[in-house]
Amino acid sequence: MVSLAHDIAREPGVEISVHEVSHRFDLEGAPLPVLDRVSFTARRGEFVALLGPSGCGKSTLLRLVAGLEPPTEGVVAADGARIDGPDPSRVVVFQDPTLFPWRNVRDNVALGLEAQGLLKQRGARIDETLRLVGLENFAKALPHQLSGGMAQRVALARALVNDPDLLILDEPLGKLDSLTRLSMQGEIVNLWRRAGFTALLVTHDIEEALLMATRVIVFSERPASIKADIAIDKPYPRHRDDPDLVERRREILGLLGLDASW
Amino acid sequence: MSLISIEAASAGAAPTRGLPSRETLTRAALAIAAGAAWIAFAFVTRHWPDAGEWGRGEELAQAAAGFGAALFLAGLLGGLWPRGAERLRRYTPWLLALGLFFILWQATTAKLALLPQPFFPPPHALVEVFVDDWPKLWESVVASLKLELLGFLAGAGAGFVVGVSLGWSRAFGYWVHPAMRLIGPMPSIAWLPIAFFAFPSSYSASIFLIGLTTGFPVAVLTWSGVASVNSAYYDVARTLGASRAFLIFKVAIPAALPHVFVGLFMGLGASFAVLVTAEMMGVKAGLGFYLQWAQGWAAYANMYAALLVMSLMCSGLITLLFRLRDRLLSWQKAEVQW
Ligand SMILES: Nc1ncnc2c1ncn2[C@@H]1O[C@H](COP(=O)(O)OP(=O)(O)OP(=O)(O)O)[C@@H](O)[C@H]1O
Ligand SMILES: [Mg+2]
Repeated sequence: MVSLAHDIAREPGVEISVHEVSHRFDLEGAPLPVLDRVSFTARRGEFVALLGPSGCGKSTLLRLVAGLEPPTEGVVAADGARIDGPDPSRVVVFQDPTLFPWRNVRDNVALGLEAQGLLKQRGARIDETLRLVGLENFAKALPHQLSGGMAQRVALARALVNDPDLLILDEPLGKLDSLTRLSMQGEIVNLWRRAGFTALLVTHDIEEALLMATRVIVFSERPASIKADIAIDKPYPRHRDDPDLVERRREILGLLGLDASW
Repeated sequence: MSLISIEAASAGAAPTRGLPSRETLTRAALAIAAGAAWIAFAFVTRHWPDAGEWGRGEELAQAAAGFGAALFLAGLLGGLWPRGAERLRRYTPWLLALGLFFILWQATTAKLALLPQPFFPPPHALVEVFVDDWPKLWESVVASLKLELLGFLAGAGAGFVVGVSLGWSRAFGYWVHPAMRLIGPMPSIAWLPIAFFAFPSSYSASIFLIGLTTGFPVAVLTWSGVASVNSAYYDVARTLGASRAFLIFKVAIPAALPHVFVGLFMGLGASFAVLVTAEMMGVKAGLGFYLQWAQGWAAYANMYAALLVMSLMCSGLITLLFRLRDRLLSWQKAEVQW
């Protein structure tokens, strides 16, 4: 009951601040610097897209924000409190769907509620969320019976069912065909606008970032540092042919060193 | 012949009307040949005089003749019940081979005495054992099954717990790993002399030995299964608020289950050897003891009968374990085949 009261009382979303974060991995004895003094703040309810070359350290940054690993240097904080471990208010949709192959779709989506002991209280959310991602007819299917795109949608549902304050998306639409991809982009944006959580989205697709985010942060090659931080003040739904967005796209391509090819 | 053409018409697959297909002919021919072999076996048993004294030849001949006649008829009338005939078709080659084997067996033992006697009893001597001594055989099976299951379940349970702990706790691994490296690979039969005086009874000693044999592979494979769980599963569960217990019971163990079953199969196979040895050496019951006893009385037919029953029991247990695996691991049918 206490948690329910808390649910109603709290404002959705969370402020995430990344302060002077550097991170190194140990690759066969030699240190591999991956993040180099990265600082930014995602305000409550903001939708921040992270763009950067492959292997620059975007997924690593998301792991730090999720609390799966502590940064080598610097601080990551949620609403001012240092993040020192994972928490179900910050959920991740990983680059791979990583569904549990021994659980059917419904039980995969139920994972978070089950782990937090909320299955009885909020179990109805599961079917609701399955409908949301269009998989209500596949509740009993096993992961190996799904297509790649369906699996990715299950992973999305598994995250959303927890009503997170922060939704961390690591190229969640990378495996979808372009049509599903478009509709899912719209779907995620609608969800975000309705629920008001803070969103961090890693993507390779500049257009996707411009269509969805309120802000795009562009990273350099590894070790990643912030090259540009661009606000996208455009109402939704956005159109890809919008001249402002086309202009932004050219700008970002230039930042990524691809201006010549497009 | 008219019956065969009915069959062809009902099968509907015949290329030309009225002519039975090649498959239909093979099916009928195989069943008829198998039936003939069994009838011949019955004839040999009944009418070719034995070179010695063996009981139950009459009963065996009657049973074989009945079975042969049934096969023969099934071959002729297969067209009336195509589905049954289809199913029978899977077994007829084996039934034919068995019928021929029995004739050979009968001829070389009871009739011509080509194989040294009394070490190679004829089929009807085995029938005699089954008919006259079944209470004792049955009792032995029950005793063996009980001992085997007690030891196997205890060992599998302990091995599983040890394996999960090894995969999860560094401190546990520090102490237990060296002990397992040292003791595990040793054949557990080597413990037999010690176990028989260290334990209050030879029965509990045998449970311990069977458990040890089962436990080692189960522990090692459970451990390797837990250790090789994709760390992304843990990441997913942790970000969703999983506790340590949830990570162990809802992530690590289900993910490791395919490995655990490999260990269970290895353990079960190895435990049969220990079961029989323990029954021969100390436990005064079970199929191993029956074998020992039969050897003491030079009752060779009883030995073969006991061996046959033992092989049925072991393969039955393995089959049961396969069923359990298929049920628990149905999710990975498309993932790994082994
Ligand atoms: N656990 C690890 N141990 C060692 N090196 C790692 C580890 N995880 C990541 N790396 C290295 O860190 C670098 C950044 O990896 P990361 O996954 O963050 O890249 P990314 O920006 O997400 O790339 P992509 O867009 O291709 O997914 C890579 O060079 C990778 O080899
Ligand atoms: Mg990545």
